[in-house]
Amino acid sequence: MLIGVAFWVVAVMAVASGVAVFVVNSMARATYALALSFIAVGVQILLLEQGYLGLITILMMVMEMAVMAVYMVMFMGMNPALMPMDMTHGKKTAIGASVGAFVLLASGALFIPWPQRRGAASEDLTRALGLEIMGEKMLVMAVLGPVMVATIVAGVVLATHRTRYERFGDDLRRHPANDPRQGGVGR
Amino acid sequence: MGLTRILAHLAVNSTHVLIVEAPGHWLTRVELEQQMALRGWRAAWTPANADVLAVCGVPGPELAELAERLWEQMPGPRARVDVASPAVVGSTLEDAATLLLDTPYHRADARERAQEPRIPEDHGQMGHGGHEGMDHGGHEGMNHEGMDHGGHEGMNHEAMDHEGMDHAGHGGHGGMDMAPAGIALAQGGQDRDGLEMDVLHLPLGPVLPFWPAGLALLCSLQGDVVVDAAASVVDGAGHAASSKEPQTPPVPASAVRCDGVMALLALAGADDAAARARRARDALVRGDQGAARDAVERLHRTVRRSWLLRWSLRGVMVLDPSDLARHDLPEVCRGDAHDRLSSLVEGLRSEVCGAVPAAVESGAVPWERMPQLVTGLELATVRLAVASLNLEPFSTVQETRHA
Amino acid sequence: MPESGVVIVAVGWAVLAGILLCALAYVAVTLDAVLSARQLGVRGGWTAPLSRAARLLRQRRRTTVAADTLLWRVGGAGMFIGAFLTVAVIPMGRWVLADPDVGIVWFNVVDVMVWALVWLTGWGANSAHSLVGGYRFLAHGLAYELPLMFALVAPAIAAGSLGVGDVVAAQDGAWFVVWMPVAFLVYLVGVTGFSVWGPFAPALAADIAGGVLAELSAVDRLVFQAGRYLFLTAGAAFSVPLFLGGGAGPVLPGWAWVLVKTVVVLAVLVWLRRKVPLLRPDRFMEIGWMVLLPAVVAQDLLVSLIVVRGG
Repeated sequence: MLIGVAFWVVAVMAVASGVAVFVVNSMARATYALALSFIAVGVQILLLEQGYLGLITILMMVMEMAVMAVYMVMFMGMNPALMPMDMTHGKKTAIGASVGAFVLLASGALFIPWPQRRGAASEDLTRALGLEIMGEKMLVMAVLGPVMVATIVAGVVLATHRTRYERFGDDLRRHPANDPRQGGVGR
Repeated sequence: MGLTRILAHLAVNSTHVLIVEAPGHWLTRVELEQQMALRGWRAAWTPANADVLAVCGVPGPELAELAERLWEQMPGPRARVDVASPAVVGSTLEDAATLLLDTPYHRADARERAQEPRIPEDHGQMGHGGHEGMDHGGHEGMNHEGMDHGGHEGMNHEAMDHEGMDHAGHGGHGGMDMAPAGIALAQGGQDRDGLEMDVLHLPLGPVLPFWPAGLALLCSLQGDVVVDAAASVVDGAGHAASSKEPQTPPVPASAVRCDGVMALLALAGADDAAARARRARDALVRGDQGAARDAVERLHRTVRRSWLLRWSLRGVMVLDPSDLARHDLPEVCRGDAHDRLSSLVEGLRSEVCGAVPAAVESGAVPWERMPQLVTGLELATVRLAVASLNLEPFSTVQETRHA
Repeated sequence: MPESGVVIVAVGWAVLAGILLCALAYVAVTLDAVLSARQLGVRGGWTAPLSRAARLLRQRRRTTVAADTLLWRVGGAGMFIGAFLTVAVIPMGRWVLADPDVGIVWFNVVDVMVWALVWLTGWGANSAHSLVGGYRFLAHGLAYELPLMFALVAPAIAAGSLGVGDVVAAQDGAWFVVWMPVAFLVYLVGVTGFSVWGPFAPALAADIAGGVLAELSAVDRLVFQAGRYLFLTAGAAFSVPLFLGGGAGPVLPGWAWVLVKTVVVLAVLVWLRRKVPLLRPDRFMEIGWMVLLPAVVAQDLLVSLIVVRGG
């Protein structure tokens, strides 16, 4: 009962702060409204007794939003600190798309015949979940990790206009590298 | 009532003092710091955290106005004291403590003053043809005039460029107020990687912890890289000589240098080493030879042994011989911040061991050179760089020349 | 978790846990103040926590032009509350408020919250110096957080569980600090990091007039500063079940040993603040990624190999 009430309270909070993302007029507030929404979703997952998934959701999303705030400020080309600004663009399309998606997902959730639980819940849910995800799909996961890292590295390499020749000289022998800002290791 | 009184008496034991040092009153500031330490009082870095505003010496008109603005920003309970000379430090601090305990007075003060932070009027009257309210273009809306803290004071608004008023290109963000609270949009500019980036004009000094008294450096920042800078001295360079009290005892040049070492160490975050430098400075000011030698020896040992300090100061504003020639700087400025720190400490050590002390002016860098030197550095590095140079000590030079 | 050996106590004991955390933080403030006073050659500092708190309680709150007050206050208050959340999973000897099977992740979540909280505090004041401070903290966060996460992984691998109770139980033979010293050191680096403490305080440094703290006064400053000390204390306390064998020790009861060990770790961290200069974020970034991260991953590998061999 109590958990049911808590679940609904958190659910309303998640949706409300999700709406707030578009209603508020400051980037910082929009970012952290989104973070709050994700935290509420994380708490919902916790209420579903998926401790690990719930906590990881909160952890990842808070970190992500902290970093996203930096990027938003960095790439806006103007200072957004105080500029009260509209957080929406292309309103008609966006509203149409999001309402459509919401109706689709909500009706799916309401009308689908959910299966009854077969058997008891595992003693250690985190472990069971890990085995379920990783057990047979370990190869996929093992490949996915390096691919993602490679993507990030490639993205950074493509984005930066300084190449190793600028850093280390034409014969790549300059030491330490010619960087505008020196790092801490002394490369 | 009882609780309020207890609270007040407890609170006074950790009073924070915001020090405004008029150029030429180095000795007063040092004496103030010593007396504060004895009372367990600490220096505040910004008006937000200050209970007492202490103006050391006789401020010129510009500095007086700044002090007034800082005073306005202090949260209260607050007390303001003018410390005219080292001799009166003790009694003025006592007065400040008494005033801080007067709760009814502070209640009244809180009621009477402005309740909302505001932008001072003079900023709106700078006469930039119809751009009132926008003439802070470069401030990116973050430099909340009216509440600007220590570091922002003394801004030379005349020196600011106002290109920020060109808002073309920002039209896409419909529905926003172009100058909320009177603070206008930032202007963009090419950064060192060739990307367009906002420019923020951030004044450093003249009231800033561990900063040469009276110096104001208006930095144009992109991110935290200084892309341009302009230097000035509060109240003009001439004021220091006239405001100096004639009966000031001579200031030992080594104590002034030791103060510089302390500032650099404090900015590098080496609190222990900075405290050592401070004790050495105080001993040198007192003229206590034995204690000074002891303290300088310990400082020397600490600085030489700390590899972390070397790691953190290495490569900060490296000046090679060609840079020295280009900027017409003395030979002692060669190397990076750590080299300069080492040579300063070595010099101090040989002086307390009996070598003839160098004059304050030797190795001094005229403050007019600062803009060229700091351009291209990052904000944290600028502070370390400034502290690592023996800037032309317009605050103390008169005192020693006459001595 | 049958063999974890901890007893979950009633919720009411949370009050005592909170008081204990505050008391330990009080000790930390006092120690820091006394050390500072001694360095300046003066006596005193023993009443520093009381008089500092009284001063800030007596001060008026202030705001700045066009401040984002909501986010500003959320940042400060969050710092104060956050540390208390950590204590819930720290066993005092046999007793613990909660022993979820993902206690270590819980700790990690709380420490990641600090990223948002410090940045929000820096942002809200609408002041250049305080915003620079907020960004400096995020830069540090990027450098210390991953090594910290991998440091937390080491005890979990060795215990085969993310539950704090299991980790304590797994240290029956040897404390984890003995065979995972690198993870322990990196963990302490992380603790100083998320407490914005000592070498990791460029966000609050003198060169930007106090940075995130520049515009804070009165109770807003009090909760933020208290939050830092509470986080430092909670971080020190969490190192005890994680690496220092929990309540294990001769003669004294378990809870006493937890307290003793916590105070020792806390005292070392407080003492180190004065000795170590600031690690500037631009410099430390490379240390974090090129030294700490490989070192702690190697530590994890070693731990995994030992666990696989042994078990």
